Amino acid sequence: MSGIYVYSDRLEIAAELIGFAKSGGQAAYALCFSQAEADQLASRGADKVIYLKGDSPLPENYGKALADYLKEQDAELLVVGATARGRDMAARVAGYLDCGMVSDVAALDYSNGQLNTERIIYGGAVVQSETISGFCVVTVAGGKFSPVSGQAEIKTVAVQADPRVTLVETAPITKEGVDLKQAASVVCVGLGLEKEADLKMARDLADVLNAELGCTRGISEERHWLPVEQYIGISGAVIKPQLYISMGVSGQIQHIFGVRDAQFIVAIDSNEKAPIFKFADYGIVGDMYEIIPLLTETLKA
Amino acid sequence: MSKIIACYKWVADEADIRINPDQSVDITKAKGKISDYDKNAIEAAVEAAGKLGGQAVTLTFGNAGAKPSIKDALSRGPEEAYWVKAAEADQADGAVTARALAAAIQKIGDSSLVICAEGASDTYARQIAPRIGAILNLPVISSVIIMTFEGNSLVATRKLEDSLETVKVELPAVVAVLPEANNPPLPGLKAVMAAGKKPLTEYSAADLGIDFKPRNQVVAVKGYVMNRKNIIFDAGDSVSRVKELAAALRKEGVL
Repeated sequence: MSGIYVYSDRLEIAAELIGFAKSGGQAAYALCFSQAEADQLASRGADKVIYLKGDSPLPENYGKALADYLKEQDAELLVVGATARGRDMAARVAGYLDCGMVSDVAALDYSNGQLNTERIIYGGAVVQSETISGFCVVTVAGGKFSPVSGQAEIKTVAVQADPRVTLVETAPITKEGVDLKQAASVVCVGLGLEKEADLKMARDLADVLNAELGCTRGISEERHWLPVEQYIGISGAVIKPQLYISMGVSGQIQHIFGVRDAQFIVAIDSNEKAPIFKFADYGIVGDMYEIIPLLTETLKA
Repeated sequence: MSKIIACYKWVADEADIRINPDQSVDITKAKGKISDYDKNAIEAAVEAAGKLGGQAVTLTFGNAGAKPSIKDALSRGPEEAYWVKAAEADQADGAVTARALAAAIQKIGDSSLVICAEGASDTYARQIAPRIGAILNLPVISSVIIMTFEGNSLVATRKLEDSLETVKVELPAVVAVLPEANNPPLPGLKAVMAAGKKPLTEYSAADLGIDFKPRNQVVAVKGYVMNRKNIIFDAGDSVSRVKELAAALRKEGVL
């Protein structure tokens, strides 16, 4: 069955990818590796749900089986949700089939057998446009397309899972109450903060704004003042709040990548040449130890 | 002795990239550096060699400009360096890079572990470890934050979006580590001095028989435009600046 094949370990993203495939008028085949996923996917508007059935609980162990199946089916394109598992699976398939792959695209278009993509490189400074003809793989984050609905038949295909990697245990990550990705406002501290106790100043401002507290990579990974879940940037949280206020953040582009979708960016830093001001809507050049408490007081009033 | 191979990429420092007024990108003045996250891969290889036994080595695929990376990489602890030296590295996509590294890994011979970072700091495409595993038919574990060894097996903890997953594999295997896996120390002067005396093996394209044809065609490279207001309050004292900021945010309706 030639057509667009989609996979995500997240049901919502899978549904969006089906929506993308259908929007171009092509057949959309939704892939999964468990009966439970197959049952859930069956009402999400695919032309068919393909359940590759083997004896491993780890989706990654089906990389080779998936590559072989797609080749056998003469698939046109594999679109995968850009999660940790999805990126891994996608690159394995690309490796087995020695085909092109574009990761984490910001935009994509598939027509007449050609994939056109845009993605961000150099930590956010540059947009690269690429095209690939022939079968290829692309990963895309959730939230880019609208899901569709409709019943689909489930086709079960028995496959061989790779037995070499075995699951020992899985444990949920206990989040410490901070969900930066959902936050409407975020206060962010950078390495300009002199000591850990000064986080209180940032927390006070966050409280007044009903904002979550975030930080740069240096604050969490070098100084260990906040958990890694709270750092914002290309390898950390990518956020889209209405309001982002930074203090003592220089504005390296890896960090800026994580806040580019903020509606308003406010920067407070003592260095007027700090790159953050180029990316800011509003800024104050000044000593944050003076400005932040003043701002907190002003907003309280 | 079995080798533990850390792969790294010599990249242009994005801090030196200039975007011209017409949005064209100028990287000619950018200094090179070992991709930030690859320092974690090198440190992971050194740590793994300490626990597992074997010899930590580095491997890179780059053009002649990657020369300074060799000493830098070796100053971080590995004992030997391997370099696939080819001008074609400049146009390489994920398929070509993985083919080049995989061919070198085969040439190097007896290796128990190949360690990459999740992604490079220039492209952050996160393709290389799974692709190498597929090409060499080795098991792959990505998103790794903890590695322990039991005999000839690796027990690795992966960090996924909402869970920690611990898996086990018998070596050899390919691993992609996250930056949280370790804290690479800055090399000391002694380590830097010693690095110059460590052996380097260069491979040419002909040595490895690599197909350099990229699958992806790059059609445009442009500076990213972020349209922001860039209003800086710099008049008056701190109190009045803060008041102006608060007034502006109220007006925007974000308070």
